[in-house]
Amino acid sequence: MSQALGIPRISLTWLLVAQALVIVPHLGHLPPWIIGLWLGCAAWRIQIFRMRAGYPNGWVKAGLLLGTAGGVFLSRGSLVGLDAGVVLLIAAFILKLLEMRSRRDALVLIFLGFFAVLTAYLFDDGILAALFSLLPVTALLAALIGLQQSAFALQPWSTARLAAGLLAQALPLMLLLFILFPRLEPLWSLPLPKDRAVSGLSDSMAPADIAELSRSAALAFRASFEGQTPPRSELYWRALTLDHFDGRRWSQSSFARGAQSAAWEQRGQPLHYSIVMQPSAQRWLFALDVGQTTLAQARQMSDFRLQRALPVESALFYRVTSWPQALREPTAIGAGPGSALQLPSEGDPRSRAWAAELKRDYPQAERLVQALLGHFNRQPYGYTLRPPAVGPNSIDDFLFETRKGFCAHYAGAMTFVLRAAGIPARVVAGYQGGEYNPSGDYVQVRQFDAHAWVEYWQAGSGWVSVDPTFQVAPQRIEQGLEAAVAEEQSFLEGSPFSPLRYRQLGWLNQLRLGWDNLNYGWQRWVLGYQGAQQLQLLQRWFGRIDGQWLGLSLVGGGGSLVGLLALWLFKPWRRERDALQRSFNRFERLLARHAVRREVGEGPRAYAERAARALPAQAQAIRTFAAAYEAQRYAGHGASPALLRQHLATLRRALPWRFTRAAGE
Amino acid sequence: MRTKLEACLHAVNQVLLGKEPQVRLALACLLARGHLLIEDLPGMGKTTLSHALARVLGLSFQRIQFTSDLLPGDILGTSVFDRETGQFIFHPGPIFAELVLADEINRATPKSQSALLEAMEEGQVTIEGATRPLPEPFFVIATQNPVSQGGTFALPESQLDRFLMRLSLGYPARAAEKALLLGDARRSLLPRLQAILDHAELALIQAEVPKVRASDALVDYVLRLVDATRSQPQFAWGLSPRASLALLAAARAWAFLDGREYVIPEDVQAVLPAVVGHRLRERADPAGHGGGALVQWLLREVPAL
Repeated sequence: MSQALGIPRISLTWLLVAQALVIVPHLGHLPPWIIGLWLGCAAWRIQIFRMRAGYPNGWVKAGLLLGTAGGVFLSRGSLVGLDAGVVLLIAAFILKLLEMRSRRDALVLIFLGFFAVLTAYLFDDGILAALFSLLPVTALLAALIGLQQSAFALQPWSTARLAAGLLAQALPLMLLLFILFPRLEPLWSLPLPKDRAVSGLSDSMAPADIAELSRSAALAFRASFEGQTPPRSELYWRALTLDHFDGRRWSQSSFARGAQSAAWEQRGQPLHYSIVMQPSAQRWLFALDVGQTTLAQARQMSDFRLQRALPVESALFYRVTSWPQALREPTAIGAGPGSALQLPSEGDPRSRAWAAELKRDYPQAERLVQALLGHFNRQPYGYTLRPPAVGPNSIDDFLFETRKGFCAHYAGAMTFVLRAAGIPARVVAGYQGGEYNPSGDYVQVRQFDAHAWVEYWQAGSGWVSVDPTFQVAPQRIEQGLEAAVAEEQSFLEGSPFSPLRYRQLGWLNQLRLGWDNLNYGWQRWVLGYQGAQQLQLLQRWFGRIDGQWLGLSLVGGGGSLVGLLALWLFKPWRRERDALQRSFNRFERLLARHAVRREVGEGPRAYAERAARALPAQAQAIRTFAAAYEAQRYAGHGASPALLRQHLATLRRALPWRFTRAAGE
Repeated sequence: MRTKLEACLHAVNQVLLGKEPQVRLALACLLARGHLLIEDLPGMGKTTLSHALARVLGLSFQRIQFTSDLLPGDILGTSVFDRETGQFIFHPGPIFAELVLADEINRATPKSQSALLEAMEEGQVTIEGATRPLPEPFFVIATQNPVSQGGTFALPESQLDRFLMRLSLGYPARAAEKALLLGDARRSLLPRLQAILDHAELALIQAEVPKVRASDALVDYVLRLVDATRSQPQFAWGLSPRASLALLAAARAWAFLDGREYVIPEDVQAVLPAVVGHRLRERADPAGHGGGALVQWLLREVPAL
């Protein structure tokens, strides 16, 4: 009460607590010296509050600012961009502590804090992060209350309770806005922060890349099927095809990158499912063959992959319908047959010779493929995540020397041999299988499910998919990577504490699947609740609607909400029933327009005297009314509202007409 | 009758310069049959005020100087053996006067203090088994130095509650002090004061005061004030029903002095600091001296209508 301009102790305490809570979720991506800066500034601010230290002067502040900006530049290489921007924001949020003299400064700090809480979502939008952000918001609100409400200045918990109460009261509004508020497409998009750059498939493949992926248990996507989930061995999730080989790597040709729409015929029963995809920073989507999606700005490309116009920078929800038995390009390859026969001009002579031999033995492509698969099956090929090193002729070395490798080796080698034998073929990269979560009835596919297989083309039957890995390690396809590498125990060997390694522990596995199910729900129903899904939900509730309807209903809903709030605040049913009091209220409002407002604790006579002094020309009328009111209200002269109204009308006529409150109010 | 009261105020104001509000409150306190506690430094005119009031109201006046060796008997009186009649004869103490000035009450031991305070509450004293009524009217003005001075026994809250009002006279204004310095000695003016009211008139007025009308709306205001002290966090404790009764009685007396037969919120506000200031403590400082800031808060924040 006494410090009109200072920052009360409670508010300062909550501010420091809030600052800590705001910074905690950023810890993962802040340079460590920011923590030192924060501790130092907080300690300094506390010493200022205890009057053991002074505020920094202009030079010190300028030095700190320059030092911090320099530090950000050194550790981030830039002062612009999302990552550096957030670091800069946090640094400013910390430095402002030292400048916080008045309430106004504290307000700036609190609003900065709210903004910093928001930026944390750019780095982590999971359910835990969202729940955690309630803590700093509560603390910031508590600081805000502590700043305004001096009557609370002695009780830290009551401010926190009030803040939590306010937050709870905001819940219905939040839900309403969440459901109804139209999701606008962003006007501009920011590049993802660096540590959000995710591992995943890329548009070129060397065996080592897939081996790298197989070490990651990060989630790639989750899929829910309508009806029965197909068996694991049928889940070949196509991402893209690699049709260019340079002797070491398979990559996507520039034609495949851009060309669209290949010819295909729907056959058999379709599968309907939806996918929530983790951000991949790539443009392609995942689907079973041959997929069609309703997602806007997504198309089927020439190699039957689905691709979006923009990279997937945040979790993405889409629905797909797939025809697994569809006939793909039965008559001609859209890109021309040469594209699927490309090989480097030299290298791997033994493989080429072997291909020519096979071609002689099996003139029919189907037979040749069967023979090749049988070769992989019968000969002592092994499946391992630790393949031996190969020389410059990588295909030769693999096929005839080491004979050990994983999907990328087998798919690459088979495609090579097929092409060398004159059969159009290409490598398909994607994911295979996935873990079925019975509690949520969905399949979760992780990075270690990354897979590569082969498709070859024949006139009449079109593209046909075959998987050489299945011949070598059928358990990889039927049970997953863990079973395939059980002997060499290389499954997730880089992360000994991953819960995926302890699937044999029943309760732990239950816990893991339940938690994953919760996260999936969060992604599907909260993060994925965007444009199309929102419209669909609203249409299910309200019938046919469009953007205009949504806008109107939002305005209407907001209006009625404000109306309800107004009812609740003004309580017209509790309107002054007392006619005398009503007259006096009108008297007050009338005088308030002439800059004479009654203080809460001011009695009617004192108020009337003050008004009479302020408006000497109308003093007579004012006193008459006040005397009549006093006589009726306090002297028990019998209520006569009519008389009061009469006096009030006299006064109104005596006063100059004014609609709004006078200046100086 | 009211002109006579105005004359009383005027007469006292002639002696005690520049203290009209305090004199008025003191008179209102007396009309409401309450006792008065004046808290101030020595030499601020406490004795002069009590003496002048006694003179103009025609009351007998006794002054008891409280000291640390004062005994209850020194206040109430003792029985002395009379050799001629062979009986104990009661010699009444200074308490048997209509207006008693208990000077520097906090210098005495709690035992002696309570002898006075019991007499104030009961309107009678019991000495050696015999109950003796005190005169009517009976009015105590106790004075007290601010407690920060050494060698004193501060009155406990329960006993402060017995006083209807607590006043502080404060330093006189410059003009008043100049008049004081230029004029006659104040004490010499006292004997010149004439009694303006007699006992019958005073009794009549004291009987009139409770009849002053307190409307529903006004009682609601008093209740709002009392409720605020009980519900707001900054108050260490709320006002008792005795305090709300005291507040209403004092407001009635104030309205009566103002020449009205009904109470308005301004009356309550005028007496509020004197009536509740010594009954309130801040929660932050429950052993502290007073609730001045709290009273200001009540005046400012509690809706008057």
